[in-house]
Amino acid sequence: MPKSKPPEKVRPPADAARFKVGDRVRVKDMPNLFYSRTQMYIRGVVGTIAECTYKDIIPEDEAFNRDGRIEQYYIVRFRQKDLWPEYQFENDTLQTESPERWLEPAD
Amino acid sequence: MSHSHKPGESGADLPHAAPTVEEITDFEVLEIAVRELAIEHGLFTAEDHRRFTEWTESIGPAAGSRLVAKAWTDPAFKARVLDDAVKACKEIGIDWAEPTGFGTPSDYMNLRVLEDTPTLHHVIVCTLCSCYPRPLLGMSPEWYRTTNYRRRLVRWPRQVLAEFGLIIPPEVEVRVEDSNQKCRFMVMPMRPEGTDSWTEEQLAEIVTRDCMIGVALPRPGRTADVHPVHKARHPVQE
Repeated sequence: MPKSKPPEKVRPPADAARFKVGDRVRVKDMPNLFYSRTQMYIRGVVGTIAECTYKDIIPEDEAFNRDGRIEQYYIVRFRQKDLWPEYQFENDTLQTESPERWLEPAD
Repeated sequence: MSHSHKPGESGADLPHAAPTVEEITDFEVLEIAVRELAIEHGLFTAEDHRRFTEWTESIGPAAGSRLVAKAWTDPAFKARVLDDAVKACKEIGIDWAEPTGFGTPSDYMNLRVLEDTPTLHHVIVCTLCSCYPRPLLGMSPEWYRTTNYRRRLVRWPRQVLAEFGLIIPPEVEVRVEDSNQKCRFMVMPMRPEGTDSWTEEQLAEIVTRDCMIGVALPRPGRTADVHPVHKARHPVQE
């Protein structure tokens, strides 16, 4: 294989994580400016932080350049009943990831 | 407007025949353009690209099967898998940094192995496109990337699983993992009954790709992903 240049590892540090496991968060419903990986079906819905995963560049910047804003990412757990009003099964859940900018405290 | 034409008239508004191949997407056009530019500028050769494609397509789900089988028989290894899955992968010979030193494009070296329990069943999807733990499972199956699976699994998971022949009892929590950022996910199903004396190799045979996506459960004798065939209600008569 040809040796390609690895992505830049030295990145400015992100701010300290704002949320911790168990915190209840609401997904913000912000306009999509050019690019987003935050799915419409979780916008405005309240979930719980299941894991603080890693700090990395946000998709909104990464889509255009390797340099950009670094943020904490989280795995957020939702109750299916909160995502889909007609959902029949009380205990079912859905998890997905989000960078910090899309989350706000729910309480 | 009339659709009748006399000979010699312009055929510009004639109805077109349906295209015989699927249309190429904008992203496919973009990939070809970027690839051709990269080759033109000497970043890599067409032969490099062919070899990389061949390498990528040669990865199958066998490593994932080995990982689950080893975790079933070795509690200490299972603990390491759940603690740091990318690191644990090295113990079974899978280095997520291959072949570039920082992983394959879009496999970001963040892996979570989701452990099923008697009260919790996991299933993975990527609603954005096709995020998938490729170093362990190889290329995703075609159906995994379809909009049909992606948009329905998050909303009607039990119904979609039922179409795969998997009925999850209502008291068991179904947890959909929509992987659409930099974490990749794989399901570690429960070890089935009747496999107590089995070797790791025997166990690995029943941990098929679908079991690690979460649309099937391993069981003795089930060593291939065969989906139910729904026969036509009104088949064509000869």
